[in-house]
Amino acid sequence: MPKIYVIDNGGQWTHRIWRVLRELECETKIIPNTTLLKDIDADGLVLSGGAARIAWESLKLGECTTYFKEFKGPILGVCVGHQLMASYYGGKAGPSEIPEFGLSKIRIIEPNDLFKGLPKEFNVWQSHNDEVKAAPGFTVLAESDNCKIQAIKHASKPHYGVQFHPEVNNTENGEAIYQNFVNVVAGKKIS
Amino acid sequence: MFKPDKFITEKIAELQNKIKGTAIIGISGGVDSTTAAIIVHKAIGKQLLCVLVDTGYMRKNEVRFNEQMLKDLGLNVMVADASDRFYSGLKDVADPEKKRKVIGELFIRVFEEIAVKQGAKYFIQGTIAPDWIESGGGLRDNIKSHHNVGGLPEKIAFEIVEPLRDLYKDEVRLVGQALGLPTAVYERQPFPGPGLAVRIIGPTDAAKAAIVREACAIVEEELEAAAKAKLMVIPWQYFAVLLPVKAVGVHGDVRAYGYVVIVRAVESMDGMSASYSRIPHEVLEKISVRITNTLKDDVSRVVFDITHKPPGTIEYE
Repeated sequence: MPKIYVIDNGGQWTHRIWRVLRELECETKIIPNTTLLKDIDADGLVLSGGAARIAWESLKLGECTTYFKEFKGPILGVCVGHQLMASYYGGKAGPSEIPEFGLSKIRIIEPNDLFKGLPKEFNVWQSHNDEVKAAPGFTVLAESDNCKIQAIKHASKPHYGVQFHPEVNNTENGEAIYQNFVNVVAGKKIS
Repeated sequence: MFKPDKFITEKIAELQNKIKGTAIIGISGGVDSTTAAIIVHKAIGKQLLCVLVDTGYMRKNEVRFNEQMLKDLGLNVMVADASDRFYSGLKDVADPEKKRKVIGELFIRVFEEIAVKQGAKYFIQGTIAPDWIESGGGLRDNIKSHHNVGGLPEKIAFEIVEPLRDLYKDEVRLVGQALGLPTAVYERQPFPGPGLAVRIIGPTDAAKAAIVREACAIVEEELEAAAKAKLMVIPWQYFAVLLPVKAVGVHGDVRAYGYVVIVRAVESMDGMSASYSRIPHEVLEKISVRITNTLKDDVSRVVFDITHKPPGTIEYE
């Protein structure tokens, strides 16, 4: 099984991501977001959410932007990880007009690897004050009523972002989303 | 998948290597601390002393019941009645974080005194993943200081050992089941370490503890009876909370003015996210009638909480 590490941006659900990956039988561990790229021997990365506010804190989150630039395998950014990803590639992220907490519904608007085999609409769990406002160079994959950019995929790189939290047990099809990401990583295994 | 048998074997070996001499464990009789105690007991046998602290904020009949249950499991149990210390330490403390820190410190001081008497160098806790995740530290924001992590004082006279640190509640239950614990023990609903003190919003005292204790007992009895009668599935966690505000009522043509009690019940897997439970109205009605009648001198209203986590948390403080 592929090696997928969880980059800890300080989220409440960082450990949950680790747990879902472990249940999918990946080789996984949680590492700080300050870990240097040269010390990471993973096939794929998941960037966790966290309390950092994208609008007025540094647009870095430790070494995360280095991973976007130089990491060879697929990356999935969750919540603030997703916001940072869009910003890094020239997009915009900032405070949501209507932040979402807990239950919300997303609609898949563009079929993609990440949502393969999933229904067009399903319930997910959210917890965000900020959101992605523009993501040039990305395809928008999903939306909710109060947040138009719920999931993105980079045009050429295997970089994915989700605003909602597939690692949370209340999110429907959450494990299937991670399984799809694991499949993407397995298909592009570096070693 | 998580393999409880493998976990147990590895932990026992690890604990046997680590613990030399006597150890004490802070035990509440809940799933986490009881499971931790059984694993450590398997590792070091009679060198483990289980200390059950009566904080004065335990549920109805809980101390007596748990003491017996733990003894029946073959553990060496000692009950430390520290209720007066907890009542006086928490007097006039209104801030929820301050409350949790006072409780964390009181717990540790009680355990330290016993550890010194017993010559124990190790202190075992049933800490699980959400406890340290929600307590914050480093990059992570503090959501609430769990008494066994963020509520700990800086100087402690023993080494802390936490065998279940990386597990969630549902995994602890699997470990408990694999260890052969009775179903009623490993399926028990969670109960916070600070106990009823965090189910009384604002300053606490023995009188308020008595009110919320009775209200919690009614919620538990009614929901367990409804589940038994197949009216609903038993929620993941269910209890009552006492608000520090009063509302007007009428009792036998006379004005009443009593506290508001909240009924809280949630569905969850691991406590890290939750949705409120869909309790049938007939069950809610029974709870409301019983609480307002039984506690008529103190409580004038009962309300039902319909908040998910997030944005809420399961408990209130």
